[in-house]
Amino acid sequence: MAGIEIRHLKKAYEVDGRRLQVLQDVDLEIPEERITVVLGKSGCGKTTLLRLVGGLEQPDSGEISFGASHRTAFVFQEPRLMPWLNVTQNILFGLRGKEPEPGALSGIVATVGLTGFEKAWPQQLSGGMQQRVAMARALAYGPSLILMDEPFAALDHFTREQMQKELSRVQQEEACSILFVTHSIDEALLLGHRIVIIENGRIKRLFDLEETAGERDLLSDPFIRMKREIVADLKEQKI
Amino acid sequence: MIKMDSMRAFWPAFFMPEGPEERKLQAGADRRNEGERNVGMKQAAFWKGRFFPPLMGIAALLVLWYLVCRMELFSAYVLPPPAKVLDSFRKMLVSGELFADVGISVARVFKGFAIAFVLAFVLGMLRAVCPGAGPYFEYILQFFRNVPPLSLIPLLILWCGIGETTKTAIIFLASFFPMYLNIVKGFTGCDPRLLEVGDMFGYSRGERFFRIILPYASADILVGMRIGLGYSWRAIIAAEMVAASTGLGHMILFAQQMSRTDKVIVGIFVIGIVGLLTDRLFAFLISRLLKGNYANGWD
Repeated sequence: MAGIEIRHLKKAYEVDGRRLQVLQDVDLEIPEERITVVLGKSGCGKTTLLRLVGGLEQPDSGEISFGASHRTAFVFQEPRLMPWLNVTQNILFGLRGKEPEPGALSGIVATVGLTGFEKAWPQQLSGGMQQRVAMARALAYGPSLILMDEPFAALDHFTREQMQKELSRVQQEEACSILFVTHSIDEALLLGHRIVIIENGRIKRLFDLEETAGERDLLSDPFIRMKREIVADLKEQKI
Repeated sequence: MIKMDSMRAFWPAFFMPEGPEERKLQAGADRRNEGERNVGMKQAAFWKGRFFPPLMGIAALLVLWYLVCRMELFSAYVLPPPAKVLDSFRKMLVSGELFADVGISVARVFKGFAIAFVLAFVLGMLRAVCPGAGPYFEYILQFFRNVPPLSLIPLLILWCGIGETTKTAIIFLASFFPMYLNIVKGFTGCDPRLLEVGDMFGYSRGERFFRIILPYASADILVGMRIGLGYSWRAIIAAEMVAASTGLGHMILFAQQMSRTDKVIVGIFVIGIVGLLTDRLFAFLISRLLKGNYANGWD
């Protein structure tokens, strides 16, 4: 499977004079054109994994190999919008001055539900709306891989649900790969084609779900069973 | 009890609330234009709120000044009455000598200020683009920051004479440091999280600087420029009082030597007004430039 292969990845940080081994020997395949969800408690190393894949940090050892040429966009935990640019300018920030294809911009703005706010400044928007601008910015870049770090954590229940559906739809339409970090089990079950559970910097377990995302009934028996297993896995973890 | 109508004759219209009868009479006639009238009233209230308090403050100060002169607490030489100062002001305006002095001082300020800004910007940028260069000049700059420009006047006169170069140098020294410090703060204080966004999109070093660092720093840079402008305006007056044959500072000193206290006060007024106007103009330009997308403390 041509995707991203991660081999023997290790990463440590120096915190207050102590060495903190965040990732110890991670082996993982991230399949192409699928949503891979990384699930774990806070501090387990999921964000670090994402930053290493995104090239924002260098691993101490191990390697990350990308199958084909890739174009990576990152949706951070915070919106990280440029306060001096309006919504449209922020969405086009990744294109580095190039003009978007006609109609592409309005399509993306409609996807994230920001029609009518194109000229607004970031500080005039709510936190959830800002996060949607950040997502639109990633989509406008035309990425083959989107890295997402708990992007919906700040959204309310209904907006989150809607954004999750939109994300599934966009992923199928654009056929891009997504590496999605979350601590919400429901979100993982709803979105993931592959769910990776990380514990203390190691991969503890891996689930492959073959059903199409977006049409899942989390209250059906197989999902409830899977959720029980995941909860049990996470509960065993020492902090 | 005092009748409302008689009081209204003495007080400005906006100071008194409208009487109930008048309101009733007007209500029918104005109902058609209520929309327009509301807008008009809102505007009137806006201007009233904006200009009324400061004008009252100024008027109170003038009245106090007038009363002090009228009571002859000080001799007219020490504190000339407002009328005399106003008269001198008018004469100086008509003869044009005031414009000449103001023009010369303003031109000097902008020359020194422009040179200081360019250098502060370049050095600040150097600190941001290659941080390794900082230590080479940082301590020298910090040393000169602690030396008041006025203490350098003897040396400057010795080296540059009493011509324009000395004044430009003093303005440069006065305005460089606030600008430099603010520019460095703006450039080096850029949010690393925003820089990461640029990194993810493959921004080059140049793009990084011009599309993230520079816009991020713009508010700080403009604050520095505004402070620097204020400092240079103060410094030019001092410099012109020490060594000059033209300019506002010289005009004040010359008036003092001629025992024309009224002209001294005119000079002080003009300094304050020109300083205030340039500052307001600068604030206006800044709010245009930042297009209202920053909550700024300019007003």
